[in-house]
Amino acid sequence: MKRSSTILLVLTLALILVASSRTWAGNIAGVVQPQGLRSPENILVYVVKAAPVSVDISQTKYLMDQQQLTFIPHILPVLVGAKVEFPNNDKVAHNVFSLSQAKKFNLGSYKSGEIKTVVFDQPGVIDLRCDVHQEMNAYILVLKNPYFAVTDKEGRFTIPDQRSLEKQGIKGVPPLTAGKYLVKTWHEKLRTAKEKVEVPVNGEVTVILKPKRGAPGVLYK
Amino acid sequence: MLMSKKVSGLVRALIILLSAILPFLTQGHSAEKDGDRDGTPLAAGLVTSQYGPVTDARVRLAGQGHFTLTDKHGRFTVRGPRSYFNRPIVTAGKEGWFNNGAPLGMFGLVGDIELRPVFLADNPDYRFNSPKVCFSCHSKVTRIWDQSKMAHTTANPKLLDMYYGTDAEGNPERGEGYRLDNPSSNGNCATCHAPSAAAASRWSLDLKQVLNSPLTEWEGVACEYCHKVRKVVDDPSAPSGASAMLERQAPVRGRSILVFGPYDDVVVPPMAASYNPLFDSGRFCSTCHSHLKRLGPGKTWERLKIYSDEEWAAFGFDNNSILPIQTTYQEWKQWQNGLPAGDPNKDKKCQQCHMSWQKRLLPYDDFVVEGGAQHMWGTYRSPEQIRPHHFEGGTEAQLQNALALELEGDRGDNELLVKVHISNTNGGHWVPTGEPMRSVFLLVEARDSEDVPLQLIRGSRLPEWAGVGDIKNGDYSGLPGAVFAKVLADKAGNLNVPFWRASRIVFDTRIRPKKTVTLEFVFALTDPEDEPSAEATLIYRPVPKRLARAKKWQVEDIHIVTKAW
Repeated sequence: MKRSSTILLVLTLALILVASSRTWAGNIAGVVQPQGLRSPENILVYVVKAAPVSVDISQTKYLMDQQQLTFIPHILPVLVGAKVEFPNNDKVAHNVFSLSQAKKFNLGSYKSGEIKTVVFDQPGVIDLRCDVHQEMNAYILVLKNPYFAVTDKEGRFTIPDQRSLEKQGIKGVPPLTAGKYLVKTWHEKLRTAKEKVEVPVNGEVTVILKPKRGAPGVLYK
Repeated sequence: MLMSKKVSGLVRALIILLSAILPFLTQGHSAEKDGDRDGTPLAAGLVTSQYGPVTDARVRLAGQGHFTLTDKHGRFTVRGPRSYFNRPIVTAGKEGWFNNGAPLGMFGLVGDIELRPVFLADNPDYRFNSPKVCFSCHSKVTRIWDQSKMAHTTANPKLLDMYYGTDAEGNPERGEGYRLDNPSSNGNCATCHAPSAAAASRWSLDLKQVLNSPLTEWEGVACEYCHKVRKVVDDPSAPSGASAMLERQAPVRGRSILVFGPYDDVVVPPMAASYNPLFDSGRFCSTCHSHLKRLGPGKTWERLKIYSDEEWAAFGFDNNSILPIQTTYQEWKQWQNGLPAGDPNKDKKCQQCHMSWQKRLLPYDDFVVEGGAQHMWGTYRSPEQIRPHHFEGGTEAQLQNALALELEGDRGDNELLVKVHISNTNGGHWVPTGEPMRSVFLLVEARDSEDVPLQLIRGSRLPEWAGVGDIKNGDYSGLPGAVFAKVLADKAGNLNVPFWRASRIVFDTRIRPKKTVTLEFVFALTDPEDEPSAEATLIYRPVPKRLARAKKWQVEDIHIVTKAW
């Protein structure tokens, strides 16, 4: 009797342990302090690997606009499988295309008022161009999980970025589970900065990333 | 009297009624063309000439994007949104005829539009107007042209150094010089570098002769020269294999300036304008963006080592006595001819990129004339119809746009495989193109986690002519990487020689339009557990180091892009 109750206690403890390890625990917050860049804004910060979460992207609305010979936004992080719309709101025709390994496409020339769409099904950096206008360049960053954020004017970020996710139509992304994570940055003019962080069972972990000016790396090695 | 008044009133009413329904009755006769829009028939009429009706004339409301073609009886119907607030001009234009127009009358009536033919009577004694004349009305487009390379083709110091064999300080016999090797020949440089002068004195002109002539003749490839081109014809005696046929008006024709151009709706008094589709085609650029050296009767080179039969035929060449020095036009044509119908890149033309809008030129223009001229004669048009004359090429911005780089890494037990993908993203020709002195270098390096360089065990290295010495000075010989260039050689085996000394092409590794070249580099890993990294860089070099040093030219390499893995 005594032996069986001990076994029961051990099993219960083990169950609690397993359950607690799967508890959605907290966020990663922090600041990016780039060296050699005027503004710390628009830097992608992302968690390389996280526990799989179920995210419904069927209602997402990703937009890469074209105005005054400019792609807006300049960087657009999306989840694998995302459909991105490319409206032409300029006065002249544009021809959006990419020769990137993660997604090759060519939308051809289309006029003001028209919209074309592309589905991004592989993770990676998509170098976006217009075939006619040399200065038009932007990046679509296709990510494996929703644990990413883009820095604000002060370089601050919180992962997951619930406000941006909800804006794009993604709801109910849970906080990260407690555990160790590798956090990286991506910006077209910065070397990758990375830090290992540990998300506690309750609360938030903060991190400071200091990428240096240089060649951008790949999202996933 | 009363009766005749009644009849006259009836006739008037009948005319008004007919006027109202005429556009609708005739609409079935017009051949509607590309860009024609659905809409209410706005105007109907006839395009005629001293020889009778003009068929296939392009008719539109001035400034509108869509047009219609006249039928075999010269009739047309223009459709579009009706505006009650202005009375637009209905214009007609056709290749070989001067444009003309007529105001759109009430009820859609337009008087007959009479076209006059452009008689073929070139006047070789014509003195070209200076761009300053054009500036008075087309100030913005002239300013943009003035900042372009087209405006400085004759008084270009590097051209003169290569021609006379001087250096940047004017010292004689420094490096190669065409006149040093060919003292009794003026060469044909003026054909493209001073076309206004060469047009009067076909080809053989010494460049100093040109520079000593009136200013307008050495203002580069200027407004009046291009807009006097009526036709481009095949011409084996021309350096490019094609010649521009000009139409320079005789004084007897009056004071209007004869201009050919892409607009069929310019019908203003100062310009005797004639629509010419050549201005919207790559063929226009072929007279200069192609340079073929003919080796002479019976002389050939080993072409098959460099270009396959298919590639050679696609260039439009049929024998091996042609040494292609510059083939920008042929590269574009070959690419376009190889694209299937419906390909998104089909029908892309030189003008779309090299005369496209740029951010520095914004806000968009809706007129191509400014000031008082705009109020008197300006035609409001979409920026889509306006081509800024910047002719940009070979600049940092354009190179960064033309090429892209991506890296992949694969770590094995003792080695690191780095795959480098180099894409010609935006060049509608091979990259680099034009003058074969130009080259693009790829530099690849790998490092361990302690930042110690890893040794290359498999993969290409840069050749000796990439510069022997310190990497900080741009000497890259022997480093892991590759070169993308067309390299000319002479009979003695010297590389990177100027075209007049060249007898063969040693290699041509330039990247084809929209193609990706993948190169592999394998580096030795000392610690299999280590986390190595790799970096690749693309650098554009406008002239080889050896030549730049000999000529004392201050030419800098252009950093295109660096990517890391």
